[in-house]
Parts: sequence; structure tokens; C-alpha cells
Amino acid sequence: MDVVLSEGAIESLVKGQEVDSPVLQMVNIRKIDGGNGPARFRLMMSDGMYTMSSFMLSTQLNPLAEQNQLVPNCVCLLRKSVTNILKDGRRVVVVLDMEIMKTAEEVGGKIGEPTPYVEGQAKAPQPAVPTPTTRPLQPQNGNDGMNKGPNKQPFAKKTPVAPSTPGGSSKIAPIASLNPYQSKWTIRARITNKGSIRTWSNSRGEGKLFSMDLVDESGEIRVTAFNQEVDKFFTLVEQGKVYYISKGTLKMANKQYSSLKNDYEMTLNGESTVIPCDDAHDVPTLQCSFVPIGDLEAREKDSIVDVIGVVKTVEDVTRITTKNSREVSKRNVHLMDMSGRVITVTMWGTDAENFDGSGQPILAIKGARLSDFGGRSLSTLFSSVVMTNPDLPEAYKLRGWYDKEGHAMDGQSMTEARGGGGGGANTNWKTLADVKNEHLGHGEKADYFSCIGTVVHLRKENCLYQACPSKDCNKKVVDQHNGMYRCEKCDKEFPEFKYRLMLSANVADFGDNQWVTCFQDTAEAILGQNAAYIGQLKDTNEAAFDEIFQQANFNTFVLRNRVKLETYNDESRIKVTVMDAKPVDHKEYSKRLIMNIRKLAAK
Amino acid sequence: MSSVFESPKPRINASMLSQYVSKPVCFAGRVQKIHPSGRSLTLLDGEGKTAQVELNDPLDEEVSGIVEVVGMVSNKGTIMASAYILLRDDKYGFDLELYNEALKVIHDFPQYYPFQ
Repeated sequence: MDVVLSEGAIESLVKGQEVDSPVLQMVNIRKIDGGNGPARFRLMMSDGMYTMSSFMLSTQLNPLAEQNQLVPNCVCLLRKSVTNILKDGRRVVVVLDMEIMKTAEEVGGKIGEPTPYVEGQAKAPQPAVPTPTTRPLQPQNGNDGMNKGPNKQPFAKKTPVAPSTPGGSSKIAPIASLNPYQSKWTIRARITNKGSIRTWSNSRGEGKLFSMDLVDESGEIRVTAFNQEVDKFFTLVEQGKVYYISKGTLKMANKQYSSLKNDYEMTLNGESTVIPCDDAHDVPTLQCSFVPIGDLEAREKDSIVDVIGVVKTVEDVTRITTKNSREVSKRNVHLMDMSGRVITVTMWGTDAENFDGSGQPILAIKGARLSDFGGRSLSTLFSSVVMTNPDLPEAYKLRGWYDKEGHAMDGQSMTEARGGGGGGANTNWKTLADVKNEHLGHGEKADYFSCIGTVVHLRKENCLYQACPSKDCNKKVVDQHNGMYRCEKCDKEFPEFKYRLMLSANVADFGDNQWVTCFQDTAEAILGQNAAYIGQLKDTNEAAFDEIFQQANFNTFVLRNRVKLETYNDESRIKVTVMDAKPVDHKEYSKRLIMNIRKLAAK
Repeated sequence: MSSVFESPKPRINASMLSQYVSKPVCFAGRVQKIHPSGRSLTLLDGEGKTAQVELNDPLDEEVSGIVEVVGMVSNKGTIMASAYILLRDDKYGFDLELYNEALKVIHDFPQYYPFQ
């Protein structure tokens, strides 16, 4: 057996002393189900003399355990670990990086006869221990009492006093080592993003909060402060600066709101301290892992990504009203990178208002949300960091590329122009039978599909209504029977009205048929005449009016539809509304059919 | 010769001609060359391959663009045309390559296209 365990290492580890890559035998492993988070593994390790069961595997090493590489009796080299002291004084060694030197089979069994390590009871060298290893001198600690600080271990390396914390003696912990099982730590980290104060008000009360993202050389973490802590810390912290932070509460991160690569997030509490750190050049700045634009297609919808690209074109700011009738600014910019692909990014609020796209700057966005709106597009979030011409190597590379060759490229857009084309690559083609069989529209949100449909019947009755003549108001007017027509919405009476269409049509394809509703534009496209003319014929020339409907039968269109299950008076029925009707592009249709046939044949 | 009109005429391209000797076919192609006699023309299919078409009577009109002929394939692999039609469709244009792709589908899946 040519493995030599690092005797004495357990004791040093427990005492928080630096031990240079000790070799330990894993004696036992236990899985701790961490509620909704990833499982954690607790290890019992042996140095040949002592065993200790308070080793926690950091989650990034879980694969070692899950793939059954880390099994009892294997010998491990602990590359990196951190000793944490729990509130009740117990010590936990978190293993950040380890390597399996010898598998359990190679080792064959337990090495030595280690006994459980009891703090403060360092056992005296026992001659009975058969391991031939020369062991460093063990402190003789006769009294069973506390074995506290001043007892410097002569053999242990001095704890590297990484930039000492002001006022505290605890060692600086890397962000990656933070977990809910420990509370005594101080991190030194840079604030890469500081959100503004937000307030909430719901049935359980109201309050305020702000969040910030911290980064150090080991990783990143989201930190949130509520109410009193907002008052205490908000003005103190500044984006881009470095702080010592201690005594925060850790909990599982809600990945829905955060894209940071950390399983945990921190909440500041009454005991938390945040102290500025002046000497902090070594703490990294914002960490981005940029995804090439061309790769975004393969990413899942709603994933949070970092992107960087050249601003090819900028649209003007527009103001829109959200569902909860808040007015916000938005602006679309089109980003291109070396993949030659272009994607539309929608920025909101102040980011949209203040953005200056002149001179085709480099734009980097950390934490943008990928959407499948119109193919693929990106949207900034409250938590996104938007940087124009950032001081990053990727930015300089991109600038160089664009100025040299990229500017001449057309760039292939991943975002389909709205309403354009007979249907891009991402059109949701369905046959009418598919729509029924797949229960489209039965979900919470409406579904959209495109189909090739032939008009087989049009309902002439009630296809026209009298609408308010004001621009942009299409509300139905009430005939006052005195030559005036009243619009409830505009609260006005008019001497005239305009005709608008609301047409019920039955469309069919080879397998099924479907009643659909067409409003103004789509109805005009299907009837081939404008609403005003049709209205005029209805009143003056019924034969010609009928003729229009006859002519429109059996024409085939490419229809883009919205489908939703709607309930009136406890009766649910599927409602299909035509959003867009276009004549069939036979070439494109044939190509698609041939492609589908080939695909089906390949199965 | 009347049998051409009465029997099914599979659509083929130039490379399939040899399999249809003495059978009635339908062939569409772009006019490449017209023999000065007006009794013969060379058509180019969607793969760029040529087919020789022999007519009973000399052409009495100008022929260009896409032409579709029906006729019997001779031993020499030429098409003895019974009739032809000009597919003049300037609005959309006739996409011969796409037509050729459709032809291949018909021949690759005869179980679904039982035309012969």
C-alpha cells in the first residue's frame, strides 16, 4: 500500500489552520436532502489517526458522489477546503475541491485505526497505531477543557491572514464557500450591480427592499436587504466598490429572479455588517460569461444570458402601457457579434431613455432574458446590467472585428420582423386537425398557429357594424334614431359612422374545418374589398354585396391565428381569431411540404 | 398515338427517361434549343440535364421559357411529343428546381402517388 495519509491534518483542519492539500481517506458518505435545493453530501474522513464526520461536500463536487466515484475507503487529495464554525461552536469543513487519488478497490480497506476526533482531546500518539508514517509532533493537550486560540500549533502553517478584516479576526471566506450551515464568516467582494429601492404592498403588509450582486475571485452572490437594512445600507454601498460583509443569512437562491451562478443568496439582517475595503485591486470586477448570439437559438426560452455585441441599428424610444396600466419606455436595438447573427434586444425604462446608440457602440448586457417572441429576442430585466463600450477584452476584440470586417456583413437576424414574411422558420404550422387534437388554446395563455385554409363558408349576417368615426376608436356606436350616433367610449355624438367588419368564416384544410373570426384588416383581405365599400353595397346593392361573398368562397390563404378557450355563461368554446391573412405563396408552401415529407420519411 | 392521351403519364425528369422507354410520360423543362426545322427541341430539366423532344408537326409559334410535353419515350430516349403547352407564368415564375424536388418525392414514395 503506497498511500500515506496526512496524519494530523484533521485536527489542523478543524482548528481552521491551513493544511496544504492533505491526503485523507473517505470512510463514510451520507446524502442529506436539502429540501428544494440540490442534495448535499456529508463525509466522514480519516487521516489515519482521527476520523471526523463534519465534512461537507460543496455542491459543485456532487457529481463525484453521484457518479459513485467517491465511495467509502477511497483516498482523496483535498485541494481546497474551508473550515466554518457554526453558531453552536461546532466546526464544519467544506470541501471545495478534491481529487480521488486511489479508488476504494485499489485501497482495499480502512487505513490505520482512526478514532473519532473530539475537539480539545487531541489524543496522544498511540504506539499501537500500526501506520509507519512519521507523524509530526502532536501537542500534548492534557486538560480536557477548551483548546482555544493561543495554543499555536508548531507544525501548522500560519493561517494566511488574507487582508485582515477590520475589527475582526476571522478569515476572509470565498463567496463560493458560503452556505446556510455556517454563520461566522466575512467575505470581501465587489458590488457589480446595485438595484434601486423597490417597495411592495400586498395583503401581508408592505415594505421595501434592494438587491445587489457581489463578486469575488471564487464566485458571485445576490444580496438583498429589506426595510431597516435598506435604511442602514442603501446609501453606504456603491456599485463597483469593494466591501467586507459578514453575518448575512443564506438561503436557497430563487433562480427565477437571479442568474448568478450560486445556489444560495444572502439576506442582510440586523447583525450584518458592511464595511468598505480600500485595498481591493485584486477583487475582480463584473463576471460575464457571454453567449455568442448564434448560440442563443439553442438556449431555452426564459433563460438568463449575458451577451455582448455591436449595436448595428437603434430604434427610437416608444412609450407603451403595460397590462397594469403603467406607462414605460422601451427601445429596441439590434446587436450583432462575430457569429454574424443579429438579435433584437428590448431595453426598458431609463436604460431605454438614456441609451445613446450613435457610433455603433459595443453593448454588453449581463442577465438579459431570452424570449421566443418573434423567433428569438432578448429583453433587459430589472436586474440586468447594461454597459456601453465596457472595458472588457471581449469588447475590444469585437470592436476590432467589426471595424475591420463586421461592418460589411449584413447579419442574419434571429428576430422575425413582425407581420413580415409568410412565416419564418419559427412559425407554428398546424393543420386544423392538429389544433383540435393538441387542444391548442386550452392553456392559461392563448396559443398562436398558422395554417393553410380555404374559405368554405362566410356568414353575411352581422358581418358589418357601425363604428365610431373618430380616428383610432372603433367602438360600436348606438343609433339614437335622430340621425345621430353615440359613442360611449368617446362620450360623443356624431352625425355619421364608419362601417367595420367582423366576419365569421368557416375555413377548411384537407383534414378538418374551423369557424374563425376575422376583424377589419383580415376580413378585408379575405373578401378582397374594403369595409366602407362593402357597407355601401349592403345598403344600396344587395346583389353586388352577395356577389362579393360568393367570389370569396374557396379561396385559399395563409392564416395566422390566435386560439383561446373562452367561456360565456358557463359554456366553453374554442375561439379562433385570424390575426393575419395572406395569399398562399405556392413556392414557399411547396418547399415546406417537400421538407416535411422528407423529414417524415427519415423517421 | 391516341393511347398517350388515354393512359396515365407519369411526370419524370431527364434522368428517368431510360426507365420509361415505350411508355407515355409528361415532361416539363426550359427550352434550350429549337432545331431550325421546328420539329425538334431540346429541354433542360430542373437538374440541368437535357431531353430531346420530337414533334409531329413543325412549330407554328414562338416557343420559349417553360414547356410541358406529353408523349411516348422512344428507344433512343427522346420524347415523341403528342402535345405541348407553354407554362407562361411571369407573375410567380415556374421554379423548375422545386418542380424537380416534387418529382423526386413522387418517385420515392410510389405507394402514395399511384399514378402509373
